[in-house]
Amino acid sequence: MSGLGDRILGLGLLVLAVAYGWAAQQWPEPFGGAESVGPETFPTILSVVLVAGSLYLMVKPDPDAQWPLGKSALELVISLVVLVIYALLLEPLGFVIATTLAVGTLSWRMGALPARAFLTGLVSAVVVFVLFNYGLDLSLPAGLLEVS
Amino acid sequence: METLGFLMDGFAVALTPYNLMFALFGAIVGTLIGCLPGLGPANGVAILIPLAFTLGLPPDTAMILLTSVYAGAMYGGRISSILLNIPGDEPAMMTCLDGYPMARKGRAADALAISAVASFTGGLIGTIGLIMLAPVLARFALTFGPAEYFALFLLAFATLGGITGKNPMKTVIAATLGIMISTVGIDISTGTQRYTFGVLELYEGIDFILAIVGLFAISELLFFVENRAGEGYRKINVGKLTLTFKELVSTIPTQLRGGVLGFIAGVLPGAGASLGSFISYTLEKQIVGRKGTFGEGDIRGVAAPEAGNNGASSGALVPMLTLGVPGSGTTAVLLAMLISLNITPGPLMFTQNADIVWGVIAALLIGNVLLLGLNIPLVGFFVRLLSIPPMYLLPIVTMVAFVGIYSISHSAFDLYFMVAFGVAGYFLRKLEIPLVPVILGLLLGPEMEKNLGHALILSDGDWSILWASPLAMGLWLVAGLGLVLPCLVGPLLRRRMNAAMKETPVSD
Repeated sequence: MSGLGDRILGLGLLVLAVAYGWAAQQWPEPFGGAESVGPETFPTILSVVLVAGSLYLMVKPDPDAQWPLGKSALELVISLVVLVIYALLLEPLGFVIATTLAVGTLSWRMGALPARAFLTGLVSAVVVFVLFNYGLDLSLPAGLLEVS
Repeated sequence: METLGFLMDGFAVALTPYNLMFALFGAIVGTLIGCLPGLGPANGVAILIPLAFTLGLPPDTAMILLTSVYAGAMYGGRISSILLNIPGDEPAMMTCLDGYPMARKGRAADALAISAVASFTGGLIGTIGLIMLAPVLARFALTFGPAEYFALFLLAFATLGGITGKNPMKTVIAATLGIMISTVGIDISTGTQRYTFGVLELYEGIDFILAIVGLFAISELLFFVENRAGEGYRKINVGKLTLTFKELVSTIPTQLRGGVLGFIAGVLPGAGASLGSFISYTLEKQIVGRKGTFGEGDIRGVAAPEAGNNGASSGALVPMLTLGVPGSGTTAVLLAMLISLNITPGPLMFTQNADIVWGVIAALLIGNVLLLGLNIPLVGFFVRLLSIPPMYLLPIVTMVAFVGIYSISHSAFDLYFMVAFGVAGYFLRKLEIPLVPVILGLLLGPEMEKNLGHALILSDGDWSILWASPLAMGLWLVAGLGLVLPCLVGPLLRRRMNAAMKETPVSD
């Protein structure tokens, strides 16, 4: 079936819109009595608009986009994992080490030679670290390299 | 004239050595952002926001920095159009048509020079237009009540997709998603917790800076990874400047026409810089007619769209500054900066924060002069940067985005959130849901709700107040047209733009 992507998106948005609108009806009446506009008025309007939009998408979807398969999809997942691990390790390992690893891995996966990739990572990490910590007085975590 | 006095004050703000330094820095960075592959202007400005924020820059300096970046990006976009036939950003598309053939004939240096001059003229005309039009519009906007504002916001969303937009319904969905995200957090007027799920980090709502950086920067990285576009381009030879003074003079009328048309397109909702450069180019082709060699490297074909898109970029600041309603992605990002500096955009800004508004306008003028000065001698330097492969560049840009977000809050939670927004941005872009309305929704959502509330309190709960006044009615009408017109006129215009681009394959 053509337009599957849009149809799935439409279905997802419909669920979201209904849940969003339903949640808005559950809030307790604010202190001081109900006004003509309460906290739920605006979200209710939004959920109605989104329901309409999602139904339209399901009825009249656009042609599908080209989705990455196989190796491309794997590379995407790898990149995401790198980003999440980067965020996770930024504080424990310190900025310089974490950045060298993250930038190095990313540019290696994007096609650079490993040695050059990690060198780029190291250089950029040191430059940004020095610039931020000494030039701009914003402290980035030093982590393992902390000189106490 | 009163305006002139304000402008002088603005120059006094912008010409302080400190601000001037940041304007120069912004102009250079902006040109880089414009010409480097994979860094659109909106993306580039977004990454700089957290940095400007954490540096603790005073509001006027921060705004001057970002406007210079904005102006610079428009200059930079042309470099890769001319040399590589790859537009750095969408408005630079039309510059490919004659710029690239000129480069192939060995006149790359001339094309770059003429486009720098045309950009300057366009930017200058646009800024003069901004100076004349903005105060008038701001005064007029003071008569707007909450109902009119509500209608105005609707208009902004409806026209955001632009005349050339593909599927207006997707614009609506995108805007709604953005506004929905903005409702997360504690409701300002009643204190009700909305969609916080008891997560402490969500009580204050979702920081839009984080969302913007995630949506733009991270999704861009993912796109490059997917397309394996990491290799970059071969080195290009620019050659010697052979442009004669006579040739330069002969393009002056073209530049003036392009600048004015571009400015008008920039001010109008839903048109924007892309249409500005398109109209300027087509009109020029009609006026010059058979005498020109358009499409084969006519210098006027380079001058017209460049003047057009720079005029439009100044024009786009008019609705952003006077009404608080941006008309393009980059101006939306500038608006984000204003809001996070605690400045309420809109007509009151002209009285309450006159120094900032006029400082920014003066900075645009100064920035244009700086950019012209920078671009002619330094073009070789920018060209060399063009050959940096994205496989090194994009990871570093991503890292800078991480640093920026991390330095605002020092929390890893925000970084995960940013990555999540990046993934969402990737899927939305894949499904052709535009990201700019999402961001605009995030920014304008709270204001929209506030105005709706005020309007209904004034009318004691009568919903018809929203379209009671003629002005509000008119705004609703234009908003409606903004959604309907793309369905009717859009395919026609797109076909013509495509026909113009036919012989030059453009990678997005």
